[in-house]
Amino acid sequence: MKPSSTATGTIIGLTLVFLIGPFIVIILAALTAGNNLAFPPDGLSLKWFIKVFTVESFRISFFISMFLAVFGTLTALIVGVPAAYAIARYDIPGAGAIQLAVSSPLIVPGIIVGLALLRYLVIPTGFTIMAALFLAHAALILPYAVRVVTSSLQNLRVDVEEAALILGCSRLGSFFRVVFPNIRGGILAAFILGFVTSFNQVPVSLFLSGPGVRTLPIDMLAYMETTYDPSVAALACLLAIMSVGIVFLAERFLGFSRYV
Amino acid sequence: MFENKTTGLLLVLPAAVFASVLFLLPVGILLSEGFAGSEGGFSLGAYVEFFSSELNNTVFWRSLRLGLWVMLTSAVIGYAAAFSIVQLSPKSRGRVFALIILPLMISPVARTYAWLVILGRTGLVNQVIVGLGLSEEGLQLLFTETAVFIGLLQLFLPLMIIALISSMENMPRDVVPAARVLGANWFSVFFRVILPLTREGLVVGGTLVFAGSITAYITPAILGGSKVLMLETLLYQRVTVANDYAAASVIAMILVVMSIVTNLLLKRLAKPRNRRA
Amino acid sequence: MSDFVSVDKLTLAYGDTVAVPELSFGIGKGELIALLGPSGCGKTTTMRAIAGLMTPKSGTIRIDGRDVTRLAPSLREVGLVFQSYALFPHLTVFENVAFGLKMRKAPNIRERVMAGLESVGLRDFANRLTPDLSGGQQQRVSLARSLVVEPKVLLLDEPLSNLDARLRLEMQMVLKDIQKKTGVTMIFVTHDQSEALALADRIVLMKDGRIVQSGLAEEMYSAPRSRFAADFFGFENILPGRDGGLLAWRPTAIRLGDGPHEGTIRGMSFGGDYRTYVIDSALGEIKGSVRAGLPAFGEGEKVRFDLPEGEAVRLEAA
Ligand SMILES: Nc1ncnc2c1ncn2[C@@H]1O[C@H](COP(=O)(O)OP(=O)(O)O)[C@@H](O)[C@H]1O
Ligand SMILES: [Mg+2]
Repeated sequence: MKPSSTATGTIIGLTLVFLIGPFIVIILAALTAGNNLAFPPDGLSLKWFIKVFTVESFRISFFISMFLAVFGTLTALIVGVPAAYAIARYDIPGAGAIQLAVSSPLIVPGIIVGLALLRYLVIPTGFTIMAALFLAHAALILPYAVRVVTSSLQNLRVDVEEAALILGCSRLGSFFRVVFPNIRGGILAAFILGFVTSFNQVPVSLFLSGPGVRTLPIDMLAYMETTYDPSVAALACLLAIMSVGIVFLAERFLGFSRYV
Repeated sequence: MFENKTTGLLLVLPAAVFASVLFLLPVGILLSEGFAGSEGGFSLGAYVEFFSSELNNTVFWRSLRLGLWVMLTSAVIGYAAAFSIVQLSPKSRGRVFALIILPLMISPVARTYAWLVILGRTGLVNQVIVGLGLSEEGLQLLFTETAVFIGLLQLFLPLMIIALISSMENMPRDVVPAARVLGANWFSVFFRVILPLTREGLVVGGTLVFAGSITAYITPAILGGSKVLMLETLLYQRVTVANDYAAASVIAMILVVMSIVTNLLLKRLAKPRNRRA
Repeated sequence: MSDFVSVDKLTLAYGDTVAVPELSFGIGKGELIALLGPSGCGKTTTMRAIAGLMTPKSGTIRIDGRDVTRLAPSLREVGLVFQSYALFPHLTVFENVAFGLKMRKAPNIRERVMAGLESVGLRDFANRLTPDLSGGQQQRVSLARSLVVEPKVLLLDEPLSNLDARLRLEMQMVLKDIQKKTGVTMIFVTHDQSEALALADRIVLMKDGRIVQSGLAEEMYSAPRSRFAADFFGFENILPGRDGGLLAWRPTAIRLGDGPHEGTIRGMSFGGDYRTYVIDSALGEIKGSVRAGLPAFGEGEKVRFDLPEGEAVRLEAA
């Protein structure tokens, strides 16, 4: 009484073609030896992949995006882990309002935040765009960090912390000796999720760009407007490969998907 | 040992303040600016002016319409896909599931850019159309609502599928075969059994897809350009081209309201599910 | 007071709900006592307060003459074996047991840990990760972990409840042995009277956060003073006496087959040495046991019985 497996197989196949197919198209298109974006490619070569590394603005914006993703996520974790601990362990007064505040970056569309920070922080106070970008990215990642770490904490029995206290640990000591080693996987997963989210982020960074300060995705959008060559396709491939690689490794060693 | 509420509050406060100061406060100021009259005081002038422009109206309704279409289409495809996926053996189900999630981890710029190659004047689709002799020189596919629709659908379909799979996995075992044994055809199985039992997943997926679509920037920017503006691309354009912060504030308000409504809806519908789990 | 551990007018609450009101009791040095009572009566709560995991609303706790009521758990020199064992999942058996010694920067950690493991029979498991162990083994690791730091008081929360019958007997031996060898003062919690009787020198019987009766194990068993205590220790027949007081009989004290009363057998349960019958009678429901070797009664059969007053325990009212 099951639906026929030919039918379900076809449906799954078509769905995957629609979702994944474009990546294959773009990989092949980027491998073209010609000078135009085309499919099927006009001969095969790696020249556009090599070209990507020679475009200076890509190099700069890649490092900016890396910096934001790494240090923004670290900052989010430094602020977010204590918050997650409080949410998982304490009966906090006004918990609803606090949760709402912490998760606001998920609710407020990023483009507005970027614009608002530009207008009310960067322009009037002379705050640098880089600093605003950094803070915005950290805040953007915060809800992911809090959510992943909270659920990791909820899976750790509270009584092991109590046992540590009785055996002579201080509160802080028990966090670092007992809690931390047991939620390391969750923290790493939060780091990866935060990294990927920040690195791929566009709307928040849209207005927060200035001379020499652009995140990689924004730089790609700008490049696309002026140049219609396959280097953006090659870069898109490289980014896709990077993300897939990170997620694959994370899944392999952490079981990443159970944290997402 | 976790009795001291002050300690809890002190631990969570930095995060709450950090997010509020960076996200809520500036956005609050931006939104309030939309209600400021030209000589100060309260005014709805910006809103009246915004909606008196034909372009703005077009963009507003287009965003809603595309959001709805993407939501409906992803629901139809999502049901077929999710139902097929849950029939698989656990092992292959895990693999397919990973492939569905994969695109979510990839830069949306990269994901959308691929459609340029497929939908362009000399792209894959037009090669087929010309090859079949359906058109002489190919069709204008890029910078149309259709292109934006396809891009958004590809971007957000995984969210719908994931939501539906998780609610199908929570369906009582064997209800579908039971209904079939009782003589129901696939049509009534879907409307009388599957749909009522997965309504929650549908609403969760639907709101995520709808909210994602109407607040999208990258896809309309790349595939719609200035011809097919949506709310966020319009906002960007009003600010960068015309310095029109009043319009920006109105659009921001629309986006925030949509987002809040969606999230409230999600919260209400997601709650009973957690309680049961 | 010369009690080694003394709890005085201790009031413990969760938020505004008082779980334990004004509890007082004392324990002598080296004693092994049982906190006995039905589930939810506040035994765990009391233990947690003694260990310092819960701040009392009022009252004092003294250990070895020192007021520890507001002292951090790490400074109290108590050991606690959690009902769930609470082993550190990321550490090996050895590291779990060494944890408290490391915190104290104690010398000879290696030897002391191995000796501790030896005493619970887990020497060969030192390098195993704790989630891989069986429940009984985990409990013994937890016990060794608490013991190696040589606490003044060892608290054990339901140490026997999660074990099967054979392991339970083994654990009883281990605990008795530890008491004999180390002389540590022990408080253990249980909801099972037979465990309390088997292990404890003295029993503190609790109900709704209050002490109902406390005394030597044998005394509690043979002379419960209240209806609750009698019921708890297996006096299943409680009837008003001629003078208006209450009398209680164990099922084994009821004489079946002959006597002034008559009833109908409603059911029977077989308990190995005894058959216990449930009898409907004018006195209400009576439970009477007969040695298994004797001829059995059938269901619905009329039976005569006697409640010999000499075998009854006289209860204080209520
Ligand atoms: N964390 C808690 N929050 C609120 N009430 C609790 C909590 N833990 C226990 N209680 C209540 O306190 C009372 C005593 O519980 P407990 O000490 O665990 O009983 P016992 O160990 O004797 O079974 C019970 O009524 C229980 O419902
Ligand atoms: Mg208990």
